[in-house]
Amino acid sequence: MHEVFTKTLPAVDIHQVKCVQGFEKIKAEYPVYLSDESKISAKPFEYLFFPKSEEELAAIVREMGRLKIKITIASARTGLAGGCVPMEGALVSLENLDKVEAIHYEPSSAEWRVVAQNSVSLKALEGMLRTKHFPHLEQSADERVRCEYLQFKNDPDGYFYPPDPTEMSAALGGSVVTNASGARTYRYGPTRAWVRGIRVMLANGEILDIPRGKYFASPAGQFVIWDSQGQAFSIPVPDYQQPKTKSAAGLFAAPQMDLIDLFIGSEGILGIVTRVEVALLKREEKVSVIQFLESDEQAIALTEALRSEKRLQLDFLEFYSGNALDLLRELQKHEPSTVGMPFIPQDAHAAIFFEMSFDSKSENLDYHILEETIARCGARLEDSWAGYESRELDRFKVFRHMIPETINGIIAERKKQVPGLHKLGTDMAVPDQYLPEIWRLYKEHCEALNLEWYAFGHIGNNHLHVNILPRDMQDLASGLELYQSFARRVVELGGSVSAEHGIGKLKGKFLRLMFPPEALQQMRAVKNALDPDGLLNPGDILPVEVAQ
Amino acid sequence: MKIVVCVKQVPEVTNVQVNPVTGTLIREGVQSILNPFCEYALDHAVRIKKAHNDVQIIAITMGPPQAKSVLLRSMELGADEGVLVTDRKFAGADTWATALTLAEAIRFAVPDFNLVFVGKQAIDGDTAQVGPEIAEILGLPQITYGIQAEINDSRRQIRVKQEVERGYEVIEATLPALVTFSKGEVVRRAPSFADVLRARQKPVRMVSANDLSIPEEKLGLQGSFTQVVKVFPPPAKKSSLLVDNVDAVEAARTIYQFLKERRFVS
Repeated sequence: MHEVFTKTLPAVDIHQVKCVQGFEKIKAEYPVYLSDESKISAKPFEYLFFPKSEEELAAIVREMGRLKIKITIASARTGLAGGCVPMEGALVSLENLDKVEAIHYEPSSAEWRVVAQNSVSLKALEGMLRTKHFPHLEQSADERVRCEYLQFKNDPDGYFYPPDPTEMSAALGGSVVTNASGARTYRYGPTRAWVRGIRVMLANGEILDIPRGKYFASPAGQFVIWDSQGQAFSIPVPDYQQPKTKSAAGLFAAPQMDLIDLFIGSEGILGIVTRVEVALLKREEKVSVIQFLESDEQAIALTEALRSEKRLQLDFLEFYSGNALDLLRELQKHEPSTVGMPFIPQDAHAAIFFEMSFDSKSENLDYHILEETIARCGARLEDSWAGYESRELDRFKVFRHMIPETINGIIAERKKQVPGLHKLGTDMAVPDQYLPEIWRLYKEHCEALNLEWYAFGHIGNNHLHVNILPRDMQDLASGLELYQSFARRVVELGGSVSAEHGIGKLKGKFLRLMFPPEALQQMRAVKNALDPDGLLNPGDILPVEVAQ
Repeated sequence: MKIVVCVKQVPEVTNVQVNPVTGTLIREGVQSILNPFCEYALDHAVRIKKAHNDVQIIAITMGPPQAKSVLLRSMELGADEGVLVTDRKFAGADTWATALTLAEAIRFAVPDFNLVFVGKQAIDGDTAQVGPEIAEILGLPQITYGIQAEINDSRRQIRVKQEVERGYEVIEATLPALVTFSKGEVVRRAPSFADVLRARQKPVRMVSANDLSIPEEKLGLQGSFTQVVKVFPPPAKKSSLLVDNVDAVEAARTIYQFLKERRFVS
């Protein structure tokens, strides 16, 4: 079925909605809404709304539509591409749509699912799942909701939501519209793989409920959406190819695609996701291992070996370059407890961090395949750190985050001296076979230009974050040029210029490297069909002038 | 030289939540871990082992059979063997009955011990009584709140840096002796994955009530002088004031009044 009908919501008086009007007032009293984790700054905008329900949100959308005022949508504001930083019009914060609405078992797919409003944070969801304590469900007025919740509590197994974007304060809805990924994408795929349903508010203020597997593009490549007035919108499905790697660049497209996938990862330019239904997975005990190595090249070799050994099922495969370890060593030298881990071994010049299933109570742990794989690469399991208690897993994660945090600290200090400076962080991924080549390219070029740089990230998906730290404006100029050349080569290799951070307002030029003008025109056609006045998230993915 | 390290399995309390309706602890998803202070005690034993030859570390725990996991954890972190003191008759033991049982188990399983290291307290009960009680029962000199320890070359004395209210004191004791440990400047160890795997091959001895020469009425609940009557969370402190939905002048006035009542401003 490629035709779908919208629903209307009961009308609410716009004056009932909490609103702050006037940029000066917003700037003075609500400064956190002027930016997000990208650290770019908002341009003057007039309204800041805090809807408490979908009905209030619909009232805002209809009123802003009537006045032709553009709307930027924000949830937790943890994005790195400036997607929810407004450049005009109104900012609508969905932060009050933060309730879990249901948890239920779906027999057709034999899985538990959570239904939640947009702004339930991933951290809060994980906490509720870990303790099986959902206060809103316990107190729900709906008996069926309470009953299903009780069934969940009585299930002897524990469950978790597999996607794990690094920033766990991110909102669930935000992670769906950005198709967020993280370390565990290596095993479980990006957020898209776990979304079973969404509710979207379109630019006309009407609602679309889209369960996965119900609405597919017609063979001719279109969807038809009927609104409550009986008017039909035809949505042409783009026919460009997706990169052969994980990607968060541009609108998703595939032949006879599921309508839900058009909205997942669309960065909110097609509609506002108000509610999501996501699948859970049975929780298993895990062990985290940081394997120290002699060199970056040995880390590449071990990655390839671990990846090709199909008897090993790793949840993630992360990388620390030798220079990134040196950076942490320097911190430890000044304050041994800063990093929260023992001293990094002196002979470690790179590391691979991975996680896998583990039974801590077993007395017959058989990991000989892992040991042999590591030994074949010339490394020893003795040169590792391992942990499996939850506080240990958390400690290892903190260790992983220390690198970007330290880098951000350094660049913030430099910015005080040279305000124009900023970090250059790549977010590109290539297909498996090009990992050694792309690594050589990154390393040789950064070293040839004598730039200060560090690399870390999702090596299992060939998705390394190369962070260049310019010391002056000359370094910045060289780094920017280098970044462009990296992006060009990544595209040539069939990769993505943005594997997880998205395009937002910052990476449009890289999108144009990746997609030809015709493909961008097709994205624009989808946007125009769903949001003809270019009301939603102006400037995200597609430049404002192109969208109009 | 033999160092016995007493270890305890405790719930990981950092993430424990209280059900606001029933007021009880939410236990789902709460893992059991090696008591952090026991881990510091073990850390000091491992340091001594690294500095001296022929040091053997024996981790001992009293608890239900599943408490074996803290012995595994201790062996991952450097203990050479484990002793699990377990019996239904030990159930319900207070600090005294626990100390009596552990002291006898140490005498039984490691009669030739030179040192007993203990965490200063467990993070669940927080009594800090068991270590000193073991020392009394075994007739050992004891040093509490240690944060550094070293053995002299003759291996007849231990020198301990002890935390006191105004700083530190350095105290020596003749072996055999017992030391309880605080955190100090320990950066927690991370075993290698090879250590984790090898720990499963290390020996764990079982000790039951029948192995110990303690009359049954002195064990467990029967032998306890104290009982836990009720467990409840401390009353929530009303420590914050949220001023919302008012204009800036009104907000400032409310906050000023709040601070004035508490004498932060005059």
